[in-house]
Amino acid sequence: MTFNETQLKTLRAALDRLIPPDDYPGAWDAGVGDYILRQLDGDLTSLQSAYTEGLDALNAEARALEDLPFPSLEPDAQDNLLRRLEGGVTLTAWPVPPERFVSMLIHHAAEGYYADPGNGGNREARSWEMIGFKIEEGVRYVG
Amino acid sequence: MIVVGAGAAGGIVACVLTEAGKRVLLLERGRALSFKEVGRDHLRNQRISLYGHNAGPEIEGNPRVFVDHQGHATTVRPHEGGYNNNAAAVGGGTRVYGAQAWRFMEQDFRMASEYGVPEGSSLSDWPITYAEMEPYYERAEWEIGVCGDDHGNRFQAPRKKGYPMPPVPPTTTHRLLKRGAEALGWSTFTTPMLINSVPYQGRAACVQCQHCVGFACPSDAKNGSQNTVIPRALATGLCDLVTEAFCERIETDAQGHVTGVTYLVMENGATLRRTVEAQAVVSSAGAIESARLLLMSASEKHPLGLGNEHDNVGRNLQGHYYPGLHAMFDEVIYDGIGPGVSISMTQFNHGNPGVIGGGMLSDEFIKLPIIFWYRSQPGDIPRWGQTNKDWMRHAYSRTVQVMGPVQDIPHPDCRVTLDGSVRDRYGLPVVRLSGTTHQETVRTSQFMWERAKAWVEVSGAVKTWGGPPTVAGMSGGQHQAGTCRMGDDPRTSVTDKWGRVHAHDNLYVMDASLHVTNGGFNPVLTIMALAFRNAEHLAQTL
Repeated sequence: MTFNETQLKTLRAALDRLIPPDDYPGAWDAGVGDYILRQLDGDLTSLQSAYTEGLDALNAEARALEDLPFPSLEPDAQDNLLRRLEGGVTLTAWPVPPERFVSMLIHHAAEGYYADPGNGGNREARSWEMIGFKIEEGVRYVG
Repeated sequence: MIVVGAGAAGGIVACVLTEAGKRVLLLERGRALSFKEVGRDHLRNQRISLYGHNAGPEIEGNPRVFVDHQGHATTVRPHEGGYNNNAAAVGGGTRVYGAQAWRFMEQDFRMASEYGVPEGSSLSDWPITYAEMEPYYERAEWEIGVCGDDHGNRFQAPRKKGYPMPPVPPTTTHRLLKRGAEALGWSTFTTPMLINSVPYQGRAACVQCQHCVGFACPSDAKNGSQNTVIPRALATGLCDLVTEAFCERIETDAQGHVTGVTYLVMENGATLRRTVEAQAVVSSAGAIESARLLLMSASEKHPLGLGNEHDNVGRNLQGHYYPGLHAMFDEVIYDGIGPGVSISMTQFNHGNPGVIGGGMLSDEFIKLPIIFWYRSQPGDIPRWGQTNKDWMRHAYSRTVQVMGPVQDIPHPDCRVTLDGSVRDRYGLPVVRLSGTTHQETVRTSQFMWERAKAWVEVSGAVKTWGGPPTVAGMSGGQHQAGTCRMGDDPRTSVTDKWGRVHAHDNLYVMDASLHVTNGGFNPVLTIMALAFRNAEHLAQTL
């Protein structure tokens, strides 16, 4: 599946609030977007419309609340909006329950960030380096 | 003879029978999985199966119906909660298990005599004692391969011989928790494992990787039936192992005598149904599927299913509750040395005032980071944002989970039946799991949770989280047991003390279905020992 440009920017902005960049990459640079796109064509095809509709609604909500699209909000305002949605507080009508949309994003962000790079996210296993999960080197596999 | 299921028990049964000169057809519904096929997918494995798993059965075509403790029934797929999956592969669960190698204690074989029978439970003694099992525990330890500390476990039942291999090296967590236990006067030791700590039986030693439980071993040092007894069985030339072969029925004649089985197998893209005759049939399909097979084999003479004259097949399903908690320390305690589980205590398996039984406590295997994110966060940490990222960064290497299995008090309503409407890929009735945990199991779990909490606190934990367990429905899963219990009385048991189904002279169950009770330990070494014992008897009988 593909997102339109606005949806993609919105996804990136939201993910980077869920797992923000610091001296280790934020969600987007760690490949969480790649993970989600891959899953939406894999195990999670049934959530394609929840994503597109949810991202559109997130922007509409941002406009209603702050008169700006979500990616243009200050980080604090983005966090504030996400917390309102977690509590089910909205100004606009949502095609998907907002708390479920945010919860879904949180889980998928963590999966893309902390699972193995083979799933399309966790680029160069930086999250594992960050938390100290060591992987053996030089092991020759049998079988 | 026919053995259904090439798991922990079935592999041993095939080995013992063929080495005694018997011809065996070993049927396995799964495949022989290579290391690569099992893979290292952090979202699809036996430990966390968000979108699939890695040791079978296939996600589609193998549903079960799960009835929760409030009575709601749902159809579930193998990787979903409620299914209580173990595995479907050559080696069964041992292909990917954690491989803790526990002998039950003497009291575990006589629970009713020790504690009395609590109301509503079917708690009972085994028809055999620890002393009868001891030589076969030894066989399992030496022939499958266990590493451990011979003398550390001062509560263990008497053993004639030590372990064939020294224990895995202690981790940082081990040293920390050992000091704490000593302060309380509690005795600890290195967890016994079915792992080569040194090269053994022609295979290499453990490389201490971080993907042990739930995955295949990179150096093939984790000992399952697939790399020990099944190759031995095949080497005799007397064992035919057929994979992707699903046994749908045990065949009986008009007198009720077992004549063989009918199984389904894929050949050249088509499903073939084959009926094979045999002198005896052994079901080693695991506690849930063995019960299903007996129930599916109903005939005119046995309308309720084989062995089910007294409505016992499928009842008393047990697994384990795992009380425990997370504990965070100021210093880094994670050192990345697999398998991770390293220290155990059996101080509280028995003799606890006011509760029935108890359980072993140990530290947890190395946790995948995504498992840590999903299951190890305290409730007071936000699930996202910089705070969550900082917490993951700080906590992963400073947190340990201490926990252990407690005696599951058997309950006749905790059971496997055949579902009336849902069918599998072959059109066969699927397993319906229902029942709830006995209140005494919950009470013992709460007692053990308090011990675990005291242990980590005295060890210097700066924060602990995870509350005591509450009633949460039946437990089966990888520790599933009890559905065809052994006993001397045909009215209250399914098989005799050799695993022979009471009303039949040539039908056997040999797997954890036989366990009258399931100990406060991981059950696999007991499954193996019992398989050695009962298969040896069968080889001598027929």
